[in-house]
Amino acid sequence: MVAWIGSRTVPLSAAIEQVAKLLENARCPVFSLNSDIHGYRSLIALAERVGATYDHVNGRDLVHEVALHTDVGGFFATATEVRRRADLIVVVGDVPVIHHDLLMSLAASKPDLSGGRRRRWFQVNGRVEPTNEGRLPPRLKAVELGSPDFPFHVVLGILRAALAGRKTSSALANADALRSDMANARFPVFMFSRLSDVSSLAMLQGMLADINKTQRATALFLPADDDAWGLVLASTWMTGFPPRTGFSTGSPVYDPWLCDIDRMIEEKEADLHVWVSEGDEAPPTKRGPPKIALVRSEKPVAGAAVTIRIGKAGVDHDGVVYSSRIGTLKSVVAEVPSDLPSVSAIVGQIQHALQGEGVTPC
Amino acid sequence: MLIRIAGGEVIDPVNGLAGKGDVWIRDGVIVEKPASGRADKTYDVSGCVVMAGAIDIHSHIGGGNVNTARLLLPEQHAAHLKRPLHTPLSNAGWSTFNTGVLYAKMGFTTVVEPAMSPSNALHTHMELADIPIIDKATLAILGNDDFLLSMIRDNASQAMIDDYVAWTVSTSRALGVKVINAGASAAFKENIRSFSFDDVVPSYGVSSRTIVESLQGSVSRLGVPHPLHVHANNLGIAGNATTAAETIRAADGRPLHLAHLQFYGYGTEGKRGFSSGAARLAELVNANTDVTIDVGQVMFGQTVTISSDVIRQYSGMRTASPKKSVLIDGDGNGGGIVPYRYRPDYYGSLQWAVGLELFLLVNDPWRVFFTTDHPNGAPFTAYPELFELLMRRDAREAKMAELDQSALELSTLASIAREYTLEEVAVMTRGAPAKLLGLDDRGHLGPGAIADIAVYRKGQDVRKMFGDAALVFKNGDLVVQDGVVTHYRWGKALRLNPPSDKGIVKRMQAYHEDRYGLSLDWFTFPESAIAREDPFAEVSCRN
Repeated sequence: MVAWIGSRTVPLSAAIEQVAKLLENARCPVFSLNSDIHGYRSLIALAERVGATYDHVNGRDLVHEVALHTDVGGFFATATEVRRRADLIVVVGDVPVIHHDLLMSLAASKPDLSGGRRRRWFQVNGRVEPTNEGRLPPRLKAVELGSPDFPFHVVLGILRAALAGRKTSSALANADALRSDMANARFPVFMFSRLSDVSSLAMLQGMLADINKTQRATALFLPADDDAWGLVLASTWMTGFPPRTGFSTGSPVYDPWLCDIDRMIEEKEADLHVWVSEGDEAPPTKRGPPKIALVRSEKPVAGAAVTIRIGKAGVDHDGVVYSSRIGTLKSVVAEVPSDLPSVSAIVGQIQHALQGEGVTPC
Repeated sequence: MLIRIAGGEVIDPVNGLAGKGDVWIRDGVIVEKPASGRADKTYDVSGCVVMAGAIDIHSHIGGGNVNTARLLLPEQHAAHLKRPLHTPLSNAGWSTFNTGVLYAKMGFTTVVEPAMSPSNALHTHMELADIPIIDKATLAILGNDDFLLSMIRDNASQAMIDDYVAWTVSTSRALGVKVINAGASAAFKENIRSFSFDDVVPSYGVSSRTIVESLQGSVSRLGVPHPLHVHANNLGIAGNATTAAETIRAADGRPLHLAHLQFYGYGTEGKRGFSSGAARLAELVNANTDVTIDVGQVMFGQTVTISSDVIRQYSGMRTASPKKSVLIDGDGNGGGIVPYRYRPDYYGSLQWAVGLELFLLVNDPWRVFFTTDHPNGAPFTAYPELFELLMRRDAREAKMAELDQSALELSTLASIAREYTLEEVAVMTRGAPAKLLGLDDRGHLGPGAIADIAVYRKGQDVRKMFGDAALVFKNGDLVVQDGVVTHYRWGKALRLNPPSDKGIVKRMQAYHEDRYGLSLDWFTFPESAIAREDPFAEVSCRN
């Protein structure tokens, strides 16, 4: 059983037809997505065809990470290069559990391209306490740095001034220790994830620009969700824009406010919500426009007009995902191959069911 | 189906054709005129020029760095022109889809992405697979990677280095090898800020020259048709014509391709210490027949520079316009993304003139290639304007009148009368690139060639002629009519598959597990990952 209309089990073809009908009749459909690269490619093509706006299901985190790249830019490194070269790692803020394997792998390895230098660890904290989920693994010993009195961008501002040898009105614990280690480091790396304000990101990158005037330094950006970053990459090459992007005017429009799906639902702009997730996120249960759900659940989603059960890339079928361990796309093989359809297979059938002789790019 | 393209002026230097004639197509391939003389479909192209589809050997159209540039500059995509409605992703800006459409309408049917980091090969090929109509290919970057530098330092045998190069080309599905500022990115990670041909990478003790010579040898021994594609040291720096000259001399009779030579065409004369060294370089190229070059012409306006020459891109961050940029320390080279606006000021005028001098002073159109190093010198959409500048001296003079005269006085451009003929354009953009890349099946209109054909309306307006092809066929499919794409299809990525010793796989497995803590599977991919039917087409090595 892979498809339901309401709570009624139906053949997949009937569900596909119903989805096509709902999409054809929608004036302002919105897509919340979480898939692999092939799933995203097919969904973006579908979004263009039906004039939809799309974002990742965790778009609230992603919007800040995208803004770092669209508004600031900066210095970055791949995790593979950091592993081999970084003799000083400064963790800025907390790091989600999904990246703790990487952290432990870094902690357990010695950089082989650091001229024999051992790796030192610092962690910068600000007013917002790290969540339990994001605390560094206990086995990773880092010198704590920062102040609970200031928000992150202020802490980073003070640190930036301190590293540049300028006077500051407030001191940070262990800033001198970092300054001393920084002076001797060959390849210092600031690691961050989930910094949620652009001013902190801009301050961090400004600090890196300062340091690079005399010595090398860079940053390891770990997306809060690798699959979300995969959407950024696919969306950017396919349309020229990252999410939040929409085709409501016919052309792709990138606008983080206009294309904020939560806002569009709240303000009743959206009249159809397509929720596609290979993850464990539950679709929003509060009232909203009719929902189409492509999910891994074995049951129909409560309140959804149509539910279709899908497989997951790397579990049920092969796929391609973004991996921050290597900083690029990775081919994944099905661990437990199943008959559950991939997102791109379902979207292909929806494209076919939509009226007209459109040419699909995916 | 038998197709006849009838009555056009056929220009095919490879087969010595230059005059009125017909071209016949059957099943996607050019064939002899059939005995029956009857076609299922005839296109009357009298008054038009018929050439093979054009080939761009150096255009940054896909991969991690290109995508980062898109991400950094959403405001630039928004400014792009709309495409025809009712086509897939028809309204997207500087997207993969648009790349194929824009190239096709100019009659280009094969484009080479010249800077693929092997570690980023899957991403690059995923993007290229989303570029419609045209065929694509990539050059794999080597020369800043620890594995190669360590082998050279440790005096590894030629055979071992050859195996590594072959394995890299094969697993990354590349058509050739490129070296970008050999050793400099590795040195920059150790805080070295300038790096010349005989400078040494600190931790390895190997010079740029040694790296280039080592790769040049491997490429030759492996029978890779395309000579080593060299992005030399000191790009963009006054006086770097000396560096380029030294690199040309180092070729020492062995094939070598120098990329975007315009960016190395600078002397130190004049009160600003920035002058044209193009005439001297052109003379050297003319004298060294094993050396080929592409130009990397600068055109005026906003663009973004995308390069794995990280040391150069770091210094360019100062002049970023708008003021934002990205610098990536990646495996091997990494990359730098710096937006830039070429203005008709002293420096912009001189760069523009240097490029044209190289085009016009290198005598042999078989050895000079038509590029803007897209998007570094200008977007590839500037090609029609560039064709006009090469084919019409009056167009050059009109443009020169708008530019900084003090800069132009330090170049020889005003004295050059040469105008490219259509035959020379066909050599430079069709026959020569196919020969350089080892693509025997294209670049000409002889029987057996794939039916990649561009038909242009001949007229005084060169820009219009080359901007909107009258007809374009890709593998025999009509894809463009009157400058508009009328049919979409998916091209292939052309790749080599040079054999290597099985031992290299074991070595690479051990290396990746030891140095990265990850199995080799993380860094390689099966062909099925691209999720298109037959995404690759294999090209043979020479031996």
